[in-house]
Amino acid sequence: MDAVISGLVLGGLFTLVGQSIVLTFVTTRTINFASGEFLAVAAFIGLGLGSWTWLPGPGKIVIAVLAVGVLGALTYRFLVVPFSHGEHDTRWLLSTVGLSYVLVNLLTNAYGANPQRLGFGRISEPKTLLGANINAQALLITVLAIIVTLVLVAGSKWTSSGLLMRAVAEDAETASLMGVSPRRVGAYAYAGASALAGLAGVLWAAEVGVSSHLGLPILVSAFAVAVIGGLTSFWGPLVGGAIYAVVVQIASYEIGSLWGSIIGLLLVIGVLVVRPEGLLGRRMEAKL
Amino acid sequence: MNALIHRLRTQARAAEARTDLVVAIVALALAALVVPTALRGEGPTLANLQIVGYFGAIAIAAMGLNLLVGYVRLVSLGQGAFFAVGAYASAWLLVDGDLSPLLAILVALVAAGAIGAVLAVCSMRLRGPAFAMITLVVAILVEQILVEWRPLGRLSGYPNALDHGSGLIDPVEIFGLTLEPPLFAGTAVTVVIAIVFVAAIVFLGYRNAVGSAWGRSLRAIGTSEHLAAHLGVNVFSRKVVVMAVASVYGALGGVFYAQVMAHLQPETFDIFLSITIVLAVILGGGGTVVGPVIGAAVIVILQQTNVLVPVVDAQRSISDSWYLSTPGLIGLLLVLTLAFLPHGIVGSLVRLTHRGTEEPSEVETGADDGSELARSSDAVADAVLSVPTDGGGENLLEVRGAVRRFGGLTAVGGVDLTVRRGTVHALIGPNGAGKTTLANLVTGVYAVNEGELVLEGQRIDRWPTHRIVRGGVARTFQTPLIFAEESVEENVLAGFLDTGTMPFWRAWLKLPGQYRRNAEMRERAEQLLELVGLAGHGHLEAGNLSYGKQRALEIARALASGPKLLILDEPAAGLNTSETSVLGELLIRLRDRGLSLILVEHHMDLVTQVSDEVTCMNTGVVLAHGSTAEVLADPAVVEAYLGVAVEEGS
Repeated sequence: MDAVISGLVLGGLFTLVGQSIVLTFVTTRTINFASGEFLAVAAFIGLGLGSWTWLPGPGKIVIAVLAVGVLGALTYRFLVVPFSHGEHDTRWLLSTVGLSYVLVNLLTNAYGANPQRLGFGRISEPKTLLGANINAQALLITVLAIIVTLVLVAGSKWTSSGLLMRAVAEDAETASLMGVSPRRVGAYAYAGASALAGLAGVLWAAEVGVSSHLGLPILVSAFAVAVIGGLTSFWGPLVGGAIYAVVVQIASYEIGSLWGSIIGLLLVIGVLVVRPEGLLGRRMEAKL
Repeated sequence: MNALIHRLRTQARAAEARTDLVVAIVALALAALVVPTALRGEGPTLANLQIVGYFGAIAIAAMGLNLLVGYVRLVSLGQGAFFAVGAYASAWLLVDGDLSPLLAILVALVAAGAIGAVLAVCSMRLRGPAFAMITLVVAILVEQILVEWRPLGRLSGYPNALDHGSGLIDPVEIFGLTLEPPLFAGTAVTVVIAIVFVAAIVFLGYRNAVGSAWGRSLRAIGTSEHLAAHLGVNVFSRKVVVMAVASVYGALGGVFYAQVMAHLQPETFDIFLSITIVLAVILGGGGTVVGPVIGAAVIVILQQTNVLVPVVDAQRSISDSWYLSTPGLIGLLLVLTLAFLPHGIVGSLVRLTHRGTEEPSEVETGADDGSELARSSDAVADAVLSVPTDGGGENLLEVRGAVRRFGGLTAVGGVDLTVRRGTVHALIGPNGAGKTTLANLVTGVYAVNEGELVLEGQRIDRWPTHRIVRGGVARTFQTPLIFAEESVEENVLAGFLDTGTMPFWRAWLKLPGQYRRNAEMRERAEQLLELVGLAGHGHLEAGNLSYGKQRALEIARALASGPKLLILDEPAAGLNTSETSVLGELLIRLRDRGLSLILVEHHMDLVTQVSDEVTCMNTGVVLAHGSTAEVLADPAVVEAYLGVAVEEGS
């Protein structure tokens, strides 16, 4: 039971980053493989703001998140748009991978590899939920992840920007003929997605410390979560995050952390065999 | 005439054999360059020999990855994981398993191939970035296993002094030869000699494979899986095989790495290794034969020597904390390569030299006389076409009560259609009538919901596309699907059934009989091009052809498989009047030589010119069927096309 609850709570972190992946995928059919490093960048920005003692913690978080949002829009403009001409062009994938190496390397050279204390944005008192001791910071992230999921689901269905987003995803060319700029929509999606990654980064770094290698393990889990849930549905990361994290946590408790990871991968593969489009994803028929 | 053909064929065969021989000699000679230094094994050269061994390992892994990234166009971020599996599995089987060296290596390679195949079976239905994501997850997991699993020594590496009494893998002995790593001055570094020669040999095999019909199928899958299936390729099993082959190449690189270093540290096999191999492919040139080797050489020099030191120092003179060291510079190089050298070093060089030799006149203007399709002759048709007319009754294809629904929409609702041998059956009807869907049912793109399809007395309605194609059905597409960046000749060659049927091992070995078959295919391709009016176009890039010529090229490619039934989906769309009439003559020639055709078409001139029988469809059902004159005169057909006639004066 402890494992189930702590898994559900941990799943929120993967959900939040998973939403960042789904958000760019549904609008632009691309994914930022440097998302993991955006977590670290946000955390380091937060660290740099530590000396601004006049600014309360939430203010620092907002600045860090916005800055990473801008970084995301720039990434889209300079590393994704020029590298995605048509469905066969997957250079964007490698260009964002390249960016992730540049960022990790810069941060490691500048700050060293050891984690540093962020010093704000952390809920310190432990909480109990349904009789289980849980990490309050992870719970905070999970609550945020659920809110973000609901906002994205509702927003994509009922707001005009959600409509634009879906239109661009469906057929960017037709959308552009209707006077929608797919690039602008894509840039906003990247900014929003990166802000989500940044938010996850600052909040998680408050718990585990700021380091240049903060992001990769979380990104990998978020990938697993997004694939399980389906890359085309905002419900996907929430459901996928819960299932994945619970399974991994139970396996880790029972057999050991390595087996937790192995079983997590097997879960991903199992879902792919049964439903390649993910549990909640929509099957995309190829046009002939 | 026959003597001449024979001589030309022998010449072509000899030319191909000569090229292969020269490449083999060059590859082996390059390998041999290392031998004198390695045999002396002098202290100061050991570091360089280690780099050469490392280069061999990375180059082999990159060749394997090129099959995926360059040819099938699947981006894998997991090649480093297979490299790690090869390295650790072979080392573990040698040290802890006490297996004989050859057996240990073989088991490691088979294990990696099996993991690759299983991963492929699970993930090959994925489109888009999901494959890259999964391979990344696998790579991270493998790294985690290396770091955390006790028997592999964790961070003390493998082997380590604590568990094995020594931190080094003992040199292995294969065929009486001890393979010494570059560690001890004065000892001949035999392992590097073995590596460079094996690397040369697996390079030659890989070159054979990508240049063969098997390799063509990979490009076809990379361009369009739909098209590949219509060339008779079992896309699923071919992708599984290519993933297994790529994994084995990756693992072989790892085996060599283990032998060169004689000790393994888990942090060597992090995700950065996978990215390094990807960069080797992209920088050298994905989809080119030697690209990965060149790319590997550049990357290894950048990583393992100190050429990047001045770059780092220059940055540090500006800022001592914000600078890029090797991994960051490699990441930057990856981005710069994608931006400025998307075809890689080799791909760009090939493009440069091509631009020099091609006449600029091939920029098509469409309708001018020079670019018209040439009329071919009966003689050419006689030479090329031989449709087997072996029994099986008068009807080649029977469609009985075919139904296909898409959700609530019934695209084809109970259609009967019979194609008699050696006839042209035209399928007409307004847009959205279900004609192309019917064609897709015949070639197995969709399964029928109800009804049956019978080809030569055999039920084919549950057959996959590639099996139907091998059974004698070929087709062209509504919008031409060609390999735009390949030559016209390569496009036709892809049409031969060899593309789907050639097994990997045969392609890799390239047995002597293959040269005869290749010459035969090239000659037939030439004839087919002449037949469809594209004589002399063989060397041109297919994407530069005019629309009409691309359609003709598709027909030539379809004919290459030696079909009994040819389905043409609107072949005259976009053709001018004279091109249409040339096309009509061609279709009649094909029919007169025993080929049966289904012609989906709107051009009534063409339909009238060539059809023996016409079926008109509307909203998924047959509206009229009969001789051309009957159907075209049918008021219901006229109504479907033109709407209800309005009485004058009413």
